[in-house]
Amino acid sequence: MKSPRRLLNSILFLLLFFVIGLPFVPLILSSVSFGWPWPNVLPDSFSFRAWEYVLADSSGTWSVVGTSLLVAFIVTAVNLLLAVPAANALVRNSFRGKWLMEAIIFAPIVIPPFVAVMGIHLTFLRLGLTETILGVVLAHISPTLPYMVRAIMISYNTLSVDWENQARMLGAGPISRFVHVVLPHLLPGIAAGASLSILISLSQYLITFIIGSGQVVTLPILLFPFISGGDPAVASAYSLLYAGIAVLTLVGMDLALKKYYQNKKAATGKG
Amino acid sequence: MWQKTRPYLLLLPAIGTIVLLFFGGLFDGLLKSLGYFPALGETRFEMTAYTNLFQSSEFWESLILTFRVAALSSVFAAVLGAAITVSLFMLKESSKSGASQVWHRLFQLPLTIPHLVGGYIIVLLFMQSGFLSKILASAGLIDEITDFPVLVNDPFGWGIILTYAWKEAPFVSLMIYPVLSRIHRSWRDVARVYGAGSWNFIREIVLPVMLPAWTIATFIVFVFTFSAFEVPFLLGVTYPSMLPVYSYQLYTSGTLADRPEALAVNIILAALTILLGLVVYYFSKRWNVLKGWD
Repeated sequence: MKSPRRLLNSILFLLLFFVIGLPFVPLILSSVSFGWPWPNVLPDSFSFRAWEYVLADSSGTWSVVGTSLLVAFIVTAVNLLLAVPAANALVRNSFRGKWLMEAIIFAPIVIPPFVAVMGIHLTFLRLGLTETILGVVLAHISPTLPYMVRAIMISYNTLSVDWENQARMLGAGPISRFVHVVLPHLLPGIAAGASLSILISLSQYLITFIIGSGQVVTLPILLFPFISGGDPAVASAYSLLYAGIAVLTLVGMDLALKKYYQNKKAATGKG
Repeated sequence: MWQKTRPYLLLLPAIGTIVLLFFGGLFDGLLKSLGYFPALGETRFEMTAYTNLFQSSEFWESLILTFRVAALSSVFAAVLGAAITVSLFMLKESSKSGASQVWHRLFQLPLTIPHLVGGYIIVLLFMQSGFLSKILASAGLIDEITDFPVLVNDPFGWGIILTYAWKEAPFVSLMIYPVLSRIHRSWRDVARVYGAGSWNFIREIVLPVMLPAWTIATFIVFVFTFSAFEVPFLLGVTYPSMLPVYSYQLYTSGTLADRPEALAVNIILAALTILLGLVVYYFSKRWNVLKGWD
């Protein structure tokens, strides 16, 4: 019984190494390399010059990271305000034209959003929305909103109306019902939706480029010239930074949620 | 009255935003693809952009390339994704610890990596002077840089296919894992009683159970790669280019006359994705993929 499991484990480990580990090896090595001629498997010498360049104030990396996160967080906040009532309506009611409403909200998952952005570009230009953060935020809403609605709908599905009625019977008004009953229950869905929304917003290159016209610089816009034929060491360092920010945002969201439930558990435990 | 209008009022902000920003953009693009530019004094509708496209060989080559790359990417992602999921499932079956949970998390890493970074990872690995070529050369298997096949910025689109296979395999895995996790431990025991080994168990029980979700996941990857821009822009060649890149090239070519054609490519792309999306929707409803079985 024991040996087939060990065999399976080692096969899985090999698969993991080739699929997940190996692809990152050249990226990491290249970011700390100083000259890496073919056919050496390892760089000639190592240096942190690429990282020093990327992390220095003079390269403007931090203001770009700031812009990217600012856009991503505004988009997510707007999505949240739009998605909670929409998810409520879609899960709890059956009404005429519901399929049409769902089709409209989930259409940007199927139809590529850059089609709409290229179409609206000239109108944005006339309204003075190009080259502005506001314009980029507006462009990022349609690719992200459907995922937020979807995630919150899943949470609403498991929230019975009885719980709210119970709170109503105990004398809770609409606001305290929402804050104390509905919101805590929706939180995992909100966290999942927000993570997706941030991740998708962070990875938009084309629509940011069309609407931002190179004036609103986010991480993918900054990265592109480097990876399409620039200095490989700097390109690799930027790629790692970019991927790191995306992964950290997700992990951070996950940890915040866990922490919330721990506090909650502690609080109810005491009470 | 309130009960009747309530859902519409709650939906209004989200629907309004999508209609204005998304469908407004689609409609705006459709009008301009028909040559309707009131700002330039063009108020007539004409099909020139579309007839020009259908007559140009560049458009057809672009369309064929897009289909080929999307098909190969989704098939590779499906095979790799299924291999990962089935091994994770077998590991879970044979162990009680939370180890499989950790494995599952690790395998999802490519999903969180931005597409451009994923593309660059493939560049560093597979370009002619890349990491694999260096390893093969050090092992004495190839002598010259040119002995390594051109897999990045190649006309066939191998670089794009490799990137999507790597990026989307965890997505396929994410879609089929919940279905597999509903296979009871007892089924395995029953199978063993009847003399089925691991391989028989996979072939007779695991594969049939995951088939509907697997097909749908593969199809979603197909629709996604069909209309994605970033990776083909980084890893493709200028000619022939995939449809979204072709549209971008036309849009930014500098001449205003190409813009209706770019927008016409977009409208065709949107129509094709709607068609493919409806197929996915129809089959996922029919096979009850999202809910599983009772």
